[in-house]
Amino acid sequence: MKGNIIKYAQDNVDTDVIIPGQYLKVHDYAELATHTMEGLDPDFHSKVKEGDFILSGKNFGCGSSREHAPIALSHSGIKAVLALSFARIFYRNSVDGAFLLPIEIEQDAYDGISEGDEITIDVTSNEIKNITKNQIYQMKPFSEIIGKIIAAGGLFKYKPDQD
Amino acid sequence: MGKTLFEKIWESHIIVEKENRPSLIYIDRHLVHEVTSPQAFDGLRMNNRKVRRPDLTIATMDHNVPTTDRSLSILDKTSSVQIQTLEKNCKDFGIKLFDINSPNQGIVHVIGPQLGITLPGTTIVCGDSHTSTHGAFGALALGIGTSDVEHVLASQTMWLEKPTPFEIRVEGKRKNPHAVTAKDIVLSIIKNIGTGGGTGTVIEYRGEGITDLSMEQRMTICNMSIEAGARAGLIAPDEKTFDYLRDREYTPKNYEDLVNSWRSHLKTDNDAKFEKQFTLHIDDIAPQVSWGTNPGMTCDVTESIPSPDEFSKGDSNQKKGAEKALDYMALEPGTAIEDIKINRVFIGSCTNARLEDLIEASKVIKGQKISSNVQAMVVPGSQMVKKQAEEMGLDKIFIDANFEWRESGCSMCLGMNPDILSPGERCASTSNRNFEGRQGTGGRTHLVSPVMAAAAAIKGHFVDVRRMDLS
Repeated sequence: MKGNIIKYAQDNVDTDVIIPGQYLKVHDYAELATHTMEGLDPDFHSKVKEGDFILSGKNFGCGSSREHAPIALSHSGIKAVLALSFARIFYRNSVDGAFLLPIEIEQDAYDGISEGDEITIDVTSNEIKNITKNQIYQMKPFSEIIGKIIAAGGLFKYKPDQD
Repeated sequence: MGKTLFEKIWESHIIVEKENRPSLIYIDRHLVHEVTSPQAFDGLRMNNRKVRRPDLTIATMDHNVPTTDRSLSILDKTSSVQIQTLEKNCKDFGIKLFDINSPNQGIVHVIGPQLGITLPGTTIVCGDSHTSTHGAFGALALGIGTSDVEHVLASQTMWLEKPTPFEIRVEGKRKNPHAVTAKDIVLSIIKNIGTGGGTGTVIEYRGEGITDLSMEQRMTICNMSIEAGARAGLIAPDEKTFDYLRDREYTPKNYEDLVNSWRSHLKTDNDAKFEKQFTLHIDDIAPQVSWGTNPGMTCDVTESIPSPDEFSKGDSNQKKGAEKALDYMALEPGTAIEDIKINRVFIGSCTNARLEDLIEASKVIKGQKISSNVQAMVVPGSQMVKKQAEEMGLDKIFIDANFEWRESGCSMCLGMNPDILSPGERCASTSNRNFEGRQGTGGRTHLVSPVMAAAAAIKGHFVDVRRMDLS
């Protein structure tokens, strides 16, 4: 996977800023996507491109259990969120619907990757390559099951009996 | 080696367990509301699936119901559609629904315990992060997203990696339990362990400071477990728990037999091991007021706003977060909390809108008027709470003080219905989240207890309720 970084250099990006409560009534995902990150970055919708990645700090996605958060990010074109850590419900929701890859990174990647950098993510070698800066970082590997659910395309497509 | 209460509940619900894999666990109760369920029901229809156990599934509408006169139609069309969708889904799939006109309607985490649906030793899920509230009864209660809602509707099970047990001991006795409340205890805990302090864990709250609490106060504690990032929070059931649930509308018929069994085994063994531990001493804790944009950004009412350097203790992201929070909140370091003026007061939410909360808040305002600069509202947690409060005359106390007395729902906790802050408005709120825009775009939220919110309504600024007569 290859894409450009949108960086939020902060901890605790919560689900209320990812998709504010007033939009939880919106069922059209294309419309929902126009409000993604509205609480934190009103320019997000105009700058995000298909295939972009978000980079942020600790406890990304904390707060509400709204699955609208990974859905809104996904329908905005975001393919992965790279963060120092994730709130568990957000992480689980991202995987359940295979909306996006929640990738846990180490401090070196957080510090080294900047807004706009072009990176590639290889989930088999667990390597993140910063093409812009010609640097390589390791991501924390997915647990086996998470990798399989994502590869299958979500919880309802994954068949545990076939393992 | 002994087992923790969480491990005992976990083990009694495992259907499939394999090494290094999530376990498939059985779900005893599934609570459903209008916001996180529509896509789940759509998913069932698309796959020709039924709800496996409609008898264990209970629905209500709380997140975007209006809190004004219910005889009028709902003006917000999208809210109206979401509410009608839940009605249709419950009808089509045979699920018991407490609709907007039901005397049992209310916030899902208030009505579950009130109706005797929440029981010790059970597993409970709901598409709502504050499901942790039900842990106050010794249940393993988990907030889930919509895909998992669909999974539970279809199978009455869910896959879960086993969380780790985290012991939080609350020791000592509060000197003034009317002024220093369960809300102040849980905000103190989050202030200390941080918003990610409980990530991946199930917290068990223990110690004298917890067993002293009433059931409604214990719910306030467990409710905010998610604000520390925990998967769930729970408290071992005791006689207070059993008394609370006796003779409720849905209390099981064999209740006394169940109580006998719960009494003997729903507790952590003396030699059980927790993977994490934290102790809070509460003898001298003060009422708490959040100043920032997450619940960990909280201080004593007697303190001043910390500088980002003081708050962050050398962590650059924490420092940046504090700077951003102060900017959003329009606050300066060094400002005394008691000097912060407010324009709005919200007494409500699944954290603090139960009868005891309203009784305690009413003592603060009885015979007084709110400040002329303040608009204040009480949104009871359920229609039953509202009715009980009205039978006690609490509505009159609030209305006489110029509070608005509303119908039940989530209301201004999350700004999905018309009850929102305007940009720049500052609110003393008994809810659980002070995130940017949570109560309305540009709104500024300070999390406090019901008595602190009531006192702020009267004075127009925060005030240490320990100085007021609450007897």
